[in-house]
Order: sequence, then structure tokens, then C-alpha cells
Amino acid sequence: MLETLLENRFSVTAVLLFGIGFLNLLLQQNLLKKVVGFNIMDSAVFLLLASLGYIEGGAAPVVAEGTSPSLYINPIPSGLVLTGIVVSVSITAFSLALIQRIYRRYGTIELDQLRERARKEDD
Amino acid sequence: MSEGTWRERLRVWVDGEREPRDRTLFVMESPQRTSSLPTPEEHEVRERHRLRKFLNWYPAAAVIICAALVAVLLAAVVRMPAFGEADNPINNEVSRHYLARTEEETGASNAVTGMILSYRGFDTLGESCVLFLAVASVTLLLRREDGEPEDAAQRRLRREDALQREHPDVILQQSARLLIPFILLFALYVLLNGESSPGGGFSGGTVLGGGLILYAAAFGFERLGRFFSRRAYSAVRTFGLLLYTFLYGCYIVTGANGLTSEALTRMGGLSLPIDLAVGLVVACTVYGFYALFARGEI
Amino acid sequence: MIALEYFLLAGLLVCAAAAPLFRRLLVTVIVYTAFSLLLAILWALLQSPDLAITEAAVGAGVSGILYFLTLRNIHAMKGTHDV
Repeated sequence: MLETLLENRFSVTAVLLFGIGFLNLLLQQNLLKKVVGFNIMDSAVFLLLASLGYIEGGAAPVVAEGTSPSLYINPIPSGLVLTGIVVSVSITAFSLALIQRIYRRYGTIELDQLRERARKEDD
Repeated sequence: MSEGTWRERLRVWVDGEREPRDRTLFVMESPQRTSSLPTPEEHEVRERHRLRKFLNWYPAAAVIICAALVAVLLAAVVRMPAFGEADNPINNEVSRHYLARTEEETGASNAVTGMILSYRGFDTLGESCVLFLAVASVTLLLRREDGEPEDAAQRRLRREDALQREHPDVILQQSARLLIPFILLFALYVLLNGESSPGGGFSGGTVLGGGLILYAAAFGFERLGRFFSRRAYSAVRTFGLLLYTFLYGCYIVTGANGLTSEALTRMGGLSLPIDLAVGLVVACTVYGFYALFARGEI
Repeated sequence: MIALEYFLLAGLLVCAAAAPLFRRLLVTVIVYTAFSLLLAILWALLQSPDLAITEAAVGAGVSGILYFLTLRNIHAMKGTHDV
């Protein structure tokens, strides 16, 4: 059991990171910490994807002339994660812009104080 | 509704001034207010009570759901194929084809760059669109302070620029003078060499954007605006995305290997212009995020 | 090599668990930047140099700067925000 966990160490770490990030996204009261939790979830998914493409003893996929493809790692998951990292930074920037607008409007970014102020404005 | 000419009607539709068509069939009588409904104060107290009960069990439910999710995922993950074996199901003939034939079919020896620019180029096109949309939406969100008119915003920006000029940060400026040439040189190297060495459009673009951010932070937006004004920014971003869309639109019409000609094979395929376009779009996006966050406009 | 991988993975878990636990938002952002640095080294160990360059430039460079600018705009640079 333990050696199975240690053998798949990247995937197990990725799942644990996903759980930590998800818990923070759900339970934190501060909006900025929710965004940090979301980013941790993103990075966990990228770690899981990119660790699937690794081949033991393989080299980086810059193909030299006429060598056989069995010397290199699988390039496909690496390419998928490359797009994902850039999209993740766009989502982070958008969330941070939303947080700045919320602060400009309500003056706070804690969830319980936001609820109070929104309800006071409704009354 | 009909305003006469079709031009007038088109303008009304585009501007959203047209009233929706009235589709009510009949009007119901509103029921009489009975005395069994709660009064507003009782309603308020009941709402607060309900919210507090929800807030009591929401953290516990969140922890239970998260723990269950992690347990299910762990049970799935330890049954996956072993890490790093060469005969995993993921290493099938597609990756062997990419590694063996990417040099002759795309002109790039970096298999990852050849894959994202040529074999799976539509993914990169969608991702460039996502970057474009992200900058557009952040621009909409952060335009200016609420209720601040146009000239007041201009005066505020000019005051900030003057402040930056009068009190420069000496440590930042001296270290930026040392670092920026190397950063920009490295970014250009990574951009242009994306095909034969690790790098490519995304990596070079982000490093280039980082260099521009350092320049804007150390020397002010005004000095950056001398060679990278707002018009140049818009032009570069729009042109990069349009070039990419146009080239890949041609692929939709002519088929996957349709764009072959003498000039293209001498140029080494379409990878280099697309690489440059993607890199410039990413650099402009990253710099645009910084400018919007720091100033409120690009 | 394996010892380095274990060390980096354990460091990732520690950084991710500790980052949202601080009261000051500045410390959260700095620990998140350290998390991103460890992840960049892991990409290099997994033989993906494109990912390593992009993660190093994006995670520590761009994402960290955006977080700091947000902290400045919501007046939370010194201590917790005072509302």
C-alpha cells in the first residue's frame, strides 16, 4: 500500500493539492484567499497531467536528427499544460479585477461583512 | 415600429432600443392579500434564522464533500498505470508519430512547439482568443473610478506620471538598467528559437511581457509610451490574432495540408510567423494586465 | 534525484497547506510565489523545459505582480485590511 502511494507520488500529491485548494475555495472567508485556493487547484491539475507523460530515462522532446522516438518523453501532455498555464493566469487576472471592483463598491472583501453591507443596502 | 427605411430599423436593432413584442395573453387578477402571510419583521427574522442554520451546516458539509472527493480520487489514482513506464497506454502511436515526423512535416525539431503550432494549432487559436477576451473584460472592469469624468481621469494620470518622474526609485532604476537588455534579449531568443530548442511562443511571450513590465515599473509609463503607445499596443494585439485566425481559416477551407507552395517551403513552413504572432499576443496580454491594474488604462 | 523529487513534493504540500492560513495577505502571496517556484523546478525535473520557463515567468513574475497590485489597490499591504 505504502509503496503504491510512493510509486505514484506525483498523482497522489496532485490529488492532495486539489483537495487542499478545493477546501480553501469553499471555506475561506476572504475573497483573495479563495482565489489563491483556486490557483492551487489549477496547478494540481497541471501536475497530474504533465506527470502522465514522463517516461523513465527519457529526454526532453527536442528531437535530434534521425533518432528513434523511444528516447524521448511523450510531448502531448506537456503541450496541453502549456496552454493551461496561460489560461490560468488570465482567469486569475480576471478574478483579481473582480475583487478590486467589489472593494471599490463595498469597501471590504470579507464574505460575512459583504453580506451585511449588501443586506443593509437592500433595506 | 417600422421606422421607414431598413437602415433606420437596423440601427434601432443594433442599438437595442427596440421594445420587446408584447406577448401577454390575458391579465390575471392578483389574489387578495390574506392575513396569513408574515409581516415584514417576522419575515426578516425568519430569513436570518434560515441563513444562520445554513451557515451552521455549510462548513461541515464542505469538509465532508471534499474529503469524499479526495478519497474517491486517491482510490482511482493508485490504480492507474505505473508512473514512467514506457508501455503505458498514453504512449501510443500518436506520440510516436509526432516525435518521428515532426521535423519533416512542420519544420520544428521541438516536438512540443511543432505540436501546438501545427498539429494542434486550433487549440492555440482558441487560447489566443481567450487571452484577447481576458484583456477586454479586465479593461471593462477596471476602466475608471465610479463617477470620475473623463478630464479628471486624465489629470489624475498626468499627476501620477509627474510624480513618477520627480521621485524615481533609484535602486529599481539602476537594477532595471542592468537587467532589461538581458531580459529582452533572452525573450527574443526564446521566441525566435522556439523550433529548435525549448521555448516557443508562450514562454518567449511571457518573458517579453515581464521585461516590458519591468521597464514600465522602473521608468514610468510615459517613457514606455514613446515607443510602445496605446495605438501600437492595439495594433499588435489585433493584428496578431487576425493573422492567426486568417491563416487557420485558410486551413479550414483548403484542408489540412492545403497551404503548400514554393515560398512557404523555402520559408520553413508557417510555424515562424504563427510563433511570432502568438508570442506578441501573449506579451501584450501580460503587459496589458499590469497596466490596467496599476493605472486603470493601457 | 528521487530524494529531490520527494523534497519538492513535500515542499509543495507544505506551501499549499500553509498559504491560506496567514492573517496577513502579503504573506499569503509570498508563500504562493514560493509554491510556484517549487512547481517550476518540478517541471524541469519532469523533462519539460517549455513548462519550466513558462511557469517561472508566469507564476512568480506575472501572477505575483498582479497579486501585489491588487493588494495595493485594496489597501491591504500592511497587515490585514483595516475594515
